[in-house]
Amino acid sequence: MLKRPAAVLGLFESPRALLSAIELLRARGRWSLEAYTPYPVPGAEAALGLKRSPLAAMVLIMGSLGALTAYLFQWWMNSVDYPIVVGGKPVDAWQAYVPVLFEVTVLFAAFTAGLGMLLLLNRLPDFRHPLLSSKSAAALTRDKFGLALEPAEGPFDAGAAEAALREVGAEAVEVLNQPAPPAPVKPRTLLLLAAGGALACLAAGLGTYWTLKLFPALPPMSHMLEHPKLVPQKPSAFFKDGRGMQAGVPGTMARGRLPYPCKTEACASRLANPLPRAAEVLRKGRKAFDTSCAVCHGALANGRPLLSEAYGAKPADLQSSRFLSMEDGRIYHTLMTGKSAMPSFASSLTDDERWSLAHYLRALQRAQHAEDEDLR
Amino acid sequence: MAPEATLSPASLDERVLSAAERKPPAAWWLALAAAASCMSLGFALMAYTLYMGIGAWGNNRPVVWAFDIINFVFWIGIGHAGTLISAILLLFRARWRNAISRTAEAMTLFAVVCAGLFPLIHLGRPWINFWLFPYPNQRGLWPNFRSPLIWDVFAVSTYFSVSLLFWYLGLVPDIASMRERARPGLRKLVLTVLSLGWRGEASHWRHYEKAYLLLAGLATGLVLSVHSVVSFDFAVSLVPGWHMTIFPPYFVAGAIFSGFAMVVLVLSVVRRTMRLEDIITPHHLEMMNKVILATSCLMAYSYLVEGFTAWYSMNPYLHHIFKQYLWGTYGWTGWTAIFCNCLIPQLFWSSRLRRSAPVMLFVAVAVLIGMWFERFVIIVISLHQDFLPSSWHLYEPTLVDYGILLGSFGLFFTLVLLFARLLPVIATTEMKAHLPREDAHA
Ligand code: HEC
Repeated sequence: MLKRPAAVLGLFESPRALLSAIELLRARGRWSLEAYTPYPVPGAEAALGLKRSPLAAMVLIMGSLGALTAYLFQWWMNSVDYPIVVGGKPVDAWQAYVPVLFEVTVLFAAFTAGLGMLLLLNRLPDFRHPLLSSKSAAALTRDKFGLALEPAEGPFDAGAAEAALREVGAEAVEVLNQPAPPAPVKPRTLLLLAAGGALACLAAGLGTYWTLKLFPALPPMSHMLEHPKLVPQKPSAFFKDGRGMQAGVPGTMARGRLPYPCKTEACASRLANPLPRAAEVLRKGRKAFDTSCAVCHGALANGRPLLSEAYGAKPADLQSSRFLSMEDGRIYHTLMTGKSAMPSFASSLTDDERWSLAHYLRALQRAQHAEDEDLR
Repeated sequence: MAPEATLSPASLDERVLSAAERKPPAAWWLALAAAASCMSLGFALMAYTLYMGIGAWGNNRPVVWAFDIINFVFWIGIGHAGTLISAILLLFRARWRNAISRTAEAMTLFAVVCAGLFPLIHLGRPWINFWLFPYPNQRGLWPNFRSPLIWDVFAVSTYFSVSLLFWYLGLVPDIASMRERARPGLRKLVLTVLSLGWRGEASHWRHYEKAYLLLAGLATGLVLSVHSVVSFDFAVSLVPGWHMTIFPPYFVAGAIFSGFAMVVLVLSVVRRTMRLEDIITPHHLEMMNKVILATSCLMAYSYLVEGFTAWYSMNPYLHHIFKQYLWGTYGWTGWTAIFCNCLIPQLFWSSRLRRSAPVMLFVAVAVLIGMWFERFVIIVISLHQDFLPSSWHLYEPTLVDYGILLGSFGLFFTLVLLFARLLPVIATTEMKAHLPREDAHA
């Protein structure tokens, strides 16, 4: 393979010698110059005629972008999507967003400065640059100062460049060769790589599948979950009778749950609704309805469920005429006993909630069967 | 400076970079074995904590924060010296920083690593720590950005990543020098990759110097913000003794104070054992000791202002807690903090003592002890008697607490020892640029 000279490198003893050489050779204008130094040499940029680094502008732009991103993110998360009121301050108070805004600004700016400099402006990493394989690289990273002459245009006369460098006082001169182009990749290698990659993907996939199958949802450490506690329907050594669940103390009852006297619908139909038809009662009924009933009966109690039809039994259409005339007591009774697929709400709702549900059902029915005078 | 006159760039490289090429001495192995044992003990006890739950520690109600957060604040404070030296002193053009900046920066990173462990393990269930980060989830929840604890997550993780970047940027040209010294082989390959093929091109230096300057400016703001944010964890709450406006500057001063003590401690050992006495000179140590003296006075002033604010507030809760600081069950910790932080560093008014190695070591260790106890005072004493006397509770650390504290020191010194043998402890590139040259007056 034919070696083509890429540049001629001369070594100098001191920064001063380097700077004067740059000045002399730049004046001739035949070459483009590049200096290699172990540490930044003041004046080298100016001598080589390099432009100012655009890094500061890049950092400014990215830093501002960081500030904007951080602010908008926080504002959207905590003021719009999931508003949190802290200390009675307005939900869009910006002051609390400042610390994170500052940190994210610095993060964006710093990584632009560091990685932008290395990767974008200096185009590193570069392991194939001719200097890295030259004899002078060790001296240049230690204490010598190098000046490389590269052809500005046209063919490169390495001999003339060498002579010029010696003339301006280079101690040693070396010809840097063009790096060999990377060898073309053989199809066999490509095939092997592809097969290897496919195999690795397959192994990772199968491995994940079987691990998850054999160890389903394994918590990393469960010790904190395993502490003495009462579990419903499970035995417990805590009580004398060895049961986790205890019946109420005889002669007492829970608040809001008076004993229910009726066994039959006929009995229930004679019960009167003890609650007045007041806004507060209706509000309570509405909350209970939306929480416990709407999934099956629909938000308008018309039997069109919010859940899918997959639910087997058809929930009653409480807007049908049969239910318009149903007594409050019988509604109450249904809630106490449940009916076919509908569960009993004796334990999950209080007496008041059940009676206010009856009021609210009336309100829903009235709304769906509004008469002319209701509109006046 | 006289001693540097005998140094040339070549001899600097030879002395600093060759450390990684030689076999480490027996003393290094011994030190590493000791540090790594402590570290392993610490990690084992952390694993035990994760298994048993936080109940393995002495924390209770109302002392819900104890060694975990004391150690966190202690280590993050230590981690402030490095960036201060590399960023703020760079902007002030304080040339004495060159010899010590690399080691101080490395210590910053290692201290932040130690610090970061504590909030993580004190979560109790660290495997769900991602809940701290904003990511879209099906629960429709976002972190509360009005909480100082979230600010802390952002401040500490930004500080770590920016310090790492800063440190690495400084290392790149030095690693390039090490690469050129290495014989072909695996070591050379690793160094080549780490140095990104840096070749010292003038057009690269132009961007590099700009980047370094910009990073220094950014890190300056960062270093001041991080400990301020840490102090918000306390100051934004309503606990008497925490809810104080002086906390941010007071914490930053304390951080610099303890950080410099640790740098002096480590450097006076490193220069002796690695024979770098003429590069890290008594002058450098003296400058750091002056900073310690200045920040010690700042600490004394902060304590006085804090006490005055408490007294002047006419707030009975504040009065009570401040009495506890000095005359309560844990009063001795308060006196330890005052003695070690405000009185002992006053030795440094004498220039003879400032330059004496044993005195320096003594003061540095005293400051580290004092600053640890200061955080004990702030955290444990303020918490153990809250507004509701029926819930007052004394705090007693368990062996696990002590073991994890020891483990964090083990981790720190393991990392320092590895760094001292694997990477240049002196920023050689930066030193070379400032060595006096023969032709300087030609
Ligand atoms: C799990 C679904 C489900 C929920 C939840 C549910 N229901 Fe029902 N409900 C039904 C079904 C199904 C029927 C029809 C039962 C039948 O006629 O066999 C029904 C019937 C009724 C009836 C008529 C009873 C009768 O005598 O015909 C009333 C009144 C009623 N529901 C009210 C409510 C109220 C009030 C709630 C909220 C507390 C509620 N339901 C919650 C499924 C549900």
